[in-house]
Amino acid sequence: MSATPKALAAPAPLSAFTLARVFFRSLFLQATWNRRGMQNLGFAYAIEPALRALYPDRERLEDALRRHLGFFNCHPYMAAAILGGAINHEERVAAGVEPSESPQNYKQTLQGPLAAIGDGFFWTALRPFFGALGAVGALCLGVPAIVAVIAVYNLIHLTLRVALFRAGYNRGDALVPLLARMALPVVADRLRTGGALLAGVAAGTLILRAGTLIGPGVGPLAGLAGLLVALVALVGYVALARGARLFPSLYLAAAAGAGAALLLEHLPGSR
Amino acid sequence: MGYLILGLVAGLAAIERKGFLQAMLSRPIVLAPVTGWALGDTAGGVLLAPVLELLWLGAVNLGAAVPAHEALGTTAVVGSATLASRALGTPVTPEIAAFAVLLAVPAALLGRVGERGAEAWNARIASRAEAELSVHHLRRAAHCNLLGLGISFGLSAVVAPLTAAMASLVIPAALRAAPGLGFPLRVGFFALGAFACAAGAKALRAKAAPLSFFGAAAATAVVGLFVLLTGRAM
Repeated sequence: MSATPKALAAPAPLSAFTLARVFFRSLFLQATWNRRGMQNLGFAYAIEPALRALYPDRERLEDALRRHLGFFNCHPYMAAAILGGAINHEERVAAGVEPSESPQNYKQTLQGPLAAIGDGFFWTALRPFFGALGAVGALCLGVPAIVAVIAVYNLIHLTLRVALFRAGYNRGDALVPLLARMALPVVADRLRTGGALLAGVAAGTLILRAGTLIGPGVGPLAGLAGLLVALVALVGYVALARGARLFPSLYLAAAAGAGAALLLEHLPGSR
Repeated sequence: MGYLILGLVAGLAAIERKGFLQAMLSRPIVLAPVTGWALGDTAGGVLLAPVLELLWLGAVNLGAAVPAHEALGTTAVVGSATLASRALGTPVTPEIAAFAVLLAVPAALLGRVGERGAEAWNARIASRAEAELSVHHLRRAAHCNLLGLGISFGLSAVVAPLTAAMASLVIPAALRAAPGLGFPLRVGFFALGAFACAAGAKALRAKAAPLSFFGAAAATAVVGLFVLLTGRAM
């Protein structure tokens, strides 16, 4: 395992097929997520076809695979950029113009910041926004709306994932300014607010349904049921904001709704 | 047969959730209708999908945190509702759906415990990969990565059908024994839904979330009521 660059013949550029194989394998990044190395095994599995193309010498290939079994953890979408960048560095190592530590240094430098960006944008903003949009769509239009929402989400998700992989591979260290220009945190804030608004639309729809579609022959109870459901939304939000736990609160909400309905049903003149 | 199909759907969803792709196909909004469709009641899955999606909107893998296993919870809930309604000879109704949520939602917590166990097992797989590399089996070392998928699949493929089997015994028996529970459970379902909306809005942690959530809920209810009343008057 040499840390000193040696003048070597530059390897042939990686074929599009090899890069496509690496990208496909990157979709399995978290298959064996573990607390010791986290996504280490997934990263080594993903980059293996590129390493095989870059290192015809078996000893160098083994060294390269070993360095990618080291600790790695990032957001699975953003990891595509690091994977592309790591291949960029491996090409230089194979050509002898960089020391063998450079791919690992690159990964260690970027994994934390990109994980934070990915978690903040994809997991806590974009995906919940589309989840809430799908929920409103399901309530109002049914299956076609869900299909449309998921298709749009995946168009965005897969386009970004492929673009990040290509940007990492083509730009290497120059990836960071590109990501900074995307202003993802600003977009994420807007998506979160939009998601909360959509959850409100879903709540309003359910309040209406409780009041109007609760069933035939219910009479004035329908209006009371709608009010009851609105009250559960209000109290539920306040309770969660004050630190109430999700699952016990869920049971309390159901018990409150069903219990109050049972009482209302037995009030004189309620039907 | 229904239990086998449910196990297969639950297992594949568990893989998509973390081990492969992560394209929202294992999120409740997609998985609930798919599970309903696989068990012969798509409408039942669509009824539950928005409630479960909003309830678990905040269930995300951030770093080493292990959230509730929303995919397992979804297949368990929809499987319970669908198989119980089949035993009652009806499609999934709000009262059956409410009962199924209350009975089967703990499967998501069980899934979280199972996932922690799977992570420990995966560490052993990673050690095995290192051992393969030390004896120069490069391809085998890299391909050890795929072994982790089997653990995710197996856990969900067992727990979801077991939960549904239990619920498909309890729900029909309870609804037959107490037919008066129909109306309260129907209201309970909408209350669950409203609570899930509140949980979803809260999970987004936006500064303007309370204003957006309550404003949109009130506006939707008022506009909807206006449309309904003017529609009736005409």
